[in-house]
Amino acid sequence: MDYEIILMTLAGIAVIAALGLNLITGFCGQISLGHAAFYGAGAYGSAMLTTNGVSFWLALPAGALVAGALGLVVGLASLRVRHDFLAITTMGVGFLFVGVVRQQDALGGEMGIYAIPDPGLGRLGYMVLVVVLAGLVAAFSLYLKRSWMGFAFDAIAEDEDTARMVGIDAARYKLTAFAMGTAIAGVAGVLYAHEIKYIGPDSFGFPESIAMLAMVAVGGIGSVGGVAFAAVVMTVLPHWLQVVAEYKLLLYGALLFAVMRFSPGGLAGLVRSWRARAGRFGIAATGKDEP
Amino acid sequence: MLAFELTVQGLIQGSIYALIAVGLTLVYGLLRILHIAHAALFTLGGYFGVLVTNATGSFGLAIIVAMVTVGGLGMLVYRFCYEPILDRPPHVALIASIGLFIALEEVFRLVFGPYGISYTAPPLTASVAVAGMNLKQAEIMVMAGVVVLIGGLAVLTRRTRVGIAWRATVTDPAMAQSFGIDVIKVRYLNFFIGSALAAAAGVMVALLNNLVEPTMGSVPSYKALAIIVLGGLGDVRGTLIAALALGVVESFGTIYLGTILDRDAIAFVFLIVVLMIRPQGLFGRA
Amino acid sequence: MTALLEIRDVAVRFGGVRALDGVTFALQAGELLGLIGPNGAGKTTALRAITGTVRPDRGAVVLDGLELTRLPVHRRVRAGLGMSQQLVRPFRAMTAIENVMLAAGAAKIRAPFGALLKRDRRPEREQALAHLETVGIAEAAESEPDSLPLGTLKRLEMARALALKPKVLLLDEPLAGLNHIEARRLAETIVELNRGGVSIILIEHNLSEVLRICGRLVVLDNGRVLGDGAPEAVMADPAVRAAYLGPGAEVQAGAGHA
Repeated sequence: MDYEIILMTLAGIAVIAALGLNLITGFCGQISLGHAAFYGAGAYGSAMLTTNGVSFWLALPAGALVAGALGLVVGLASLRVRHDFLAITTMGVGFLFVGVVRQQDALGGEMGIYAIPDPGLGRLGYMVLVVVLAGLVAAFSLYLKRSWMGFAFDAIAEDEDTARMVGIDAARYKLTAFAMGTAIAGVAGVLYAHEIKYIGPDSFGFPESIAMLAMVAVGGIGSVGGVAFAAVVMTVLPHWLQVVAEYKLLLYGALLFAVMRFSPGGLAGLVRSWRARAGRFGIAATGKDEP
Repeated sequence: MLAFELTVQGLIQGSIYALIAVGLTLVYGLLRILHIAHAALFTLGGYFGVLVTNATGSFGLAIIVAMVTVGGLGMLVYRFCYEPILDRPPHVALIASIGLFIALEEVFRLVFGPYGISYTAPPLTASVAVAGMNLKQAEIMVMAGVVVLIGGLAVLTRRTRVGIAWRATVTDPAMAQSFGIDVIKVRYLNFFIGSALAAAAGVMVALLNNLVEPTMGSVPSYKALAIIVLGGLGDVRGTLIAALALGVVESFGTIYLGTILDRDAIAFVFLIVVLMIRPQGLFGRA
Repeated sequence: MTALLEIRDVAVRFGGVRALDGVTFALQAGELLGLIGPNGAGKTTALRAITGTVRPDRGAVVLDGLELTRLPVHRRVRAGLGMSQQLVRPFRAMTAIENVMLAAGAAKIRAPFGALLKRDRRPEREQALAHLETVGIAEAAESEPDSLPLGTLKRLEMARALALKPKVLLLDEPLAGLNHIEARRLAETIVELNRGGVSIILIEHNLSEVLRICGRLVVLDNGRVLGDGAPEAVMADPAVRAAYLGPGAEVQAGAGHA
């Protein structure tokens, strides 16, 4: 049972981190290849606090705040550069984070931070906490999508210049997206640090950022359900497939490529096209006319 | 004296970056794709270089085989991986390329083993005293090789019909097509040249380090991305200068900033600082 | 009488080229002003200087007493400018009515966190439908832009701009690409909008329609104002005729523009 609980916990943490990225990249259209840096900021921020006696319950929001503040700064970069330039800048931020953390003895340097204290909820209790938070983040994402903020994000994601022409302050919205999405990643980072109880710079590098982006892309950019599902599957599957551990990464790379090549809308896109085909057989009419 | 040595080392490293980055910027200039899998072709070039040298004893032959074979493979990558997804939103090609890169690195690990391979009889190891420094023959060869290759590329694009057609297509594909230029052929040529240059870089790095291992493309791939952005996406000359500049900046940076940052992060600090001041890169047009 | 929108001595340079060289004109409230001139005269640049997409080297743009010159695009929109562009840019991921709803809800999305707290889109939907009706494309409301013809998309651009409740509506070549009948119809719609109280600046190549519907014309050539006044007077001006009939613009009735 213990093994399943740990797996569920890690899956829940991945869902939170991925939904954070989904907000930035999926909802607001700002591509971020450095998301793991904010995940790491939350992890390191909270670990520094709890290893110095601060309560986990204070460290949790603190980690989110640190990550969100860093996210705001990076968000400022999104005001200067767009699209491919932004992708590479965010990638750079990710490398910068790891590069700096590695060299700081105060943060444990290469070795990282050990013996992060247990929050005292027990394995099952902690899992429940993580799952509840994941549910809250998902609910918030769904709400946001339907709100007027989500409406503005849709416009900015598609065509920033035209969004400005209908009076949208694109800069403020982008900053807000970054701040919120990175704070959410920070929460995931705090939860991760206090589950594994050890963090090092290698946990938050470019491969981790790509893994999160993969969850968003495979799930379907912008789709809350799709991204959550992909996050769970992509966390759990490698553990279940230990038998093919040799080929794990190969399958992972091949999967990423295959999804983008054959179903760029991700899993959510697949579901949508199945529904549309069902509709054509008269099962569900949506009222949208085909050209 | 230290400054001079650092500069030379930086230029050597920068030349390697240049060979990789030029291929990347060629692809971007033509197709607006960040071809991350490019670095896997760099690694593959290294493998071919070592394997052919070990099998035949001829380093020269190895370079040619590596460049031609990998160049051809590059064309296949275009045909089967990128051509089908050209009209999708940009993140699709980016993630597909990343997936391809990861898969290829794994294939290298599975086929050639995780610990890498080396030359059985490493060529060009003798040291030469130049301007008060000791340089390995290999290092001199690398710099010379880069000059020859890039110079060759410049001549190709300026003096030959093929090269001019290529430049026209990069500048304005629709216009080029209306002049009767076969845009598809230009794309294949693009991938061939870029991949061949990356393979050459792989061979040279294998020569310098006497080791080819499956993940050796990772770090250069990220840095190459930073370089092409700095150089102005699609601008070959800018990329060259940015590559050399980065090599030198890294060289000095590791000495003077080593306590704050590790080497690979320096490239990105450089990038971020430049982009915040000039969002179009060092040489891009606003 | 102070004008609604003033362009004062605006100059714009792109690299070595002087796109606008000290342009001055004004729009009075309730006017339907035509901004015309041969190709390359600087009309679109002038429009971009008004909306804020382009920063002039000198000069000022003043709307209803408020100086717009330093303000970013979205602030100018909120100050009362609405624009429909020459190359239509609807949001393709939204339906036609959603495009207009977004503009109608401009007040709600002024601030991100305020926008987060608001969900109800029904009032904006009703307003949007009304605007679509005003421009005559209500039946396309639930359609996606990719399935709509150019004429409809042009009207959609206008409806979206109208939903902003602008003080001044800027229309950049709305008739371009339309055949003779469609152009006539759209021109009529523009006249009706103007009669309904909307002040409009119309950039257009289609001289036959412009001469018919505009109350006043401003002629640009080579970045300078060549004429400013009633259509007949302006077109009778020999300098204006030279600028046009020299390079060969078509002024015959019935000449459509491809």
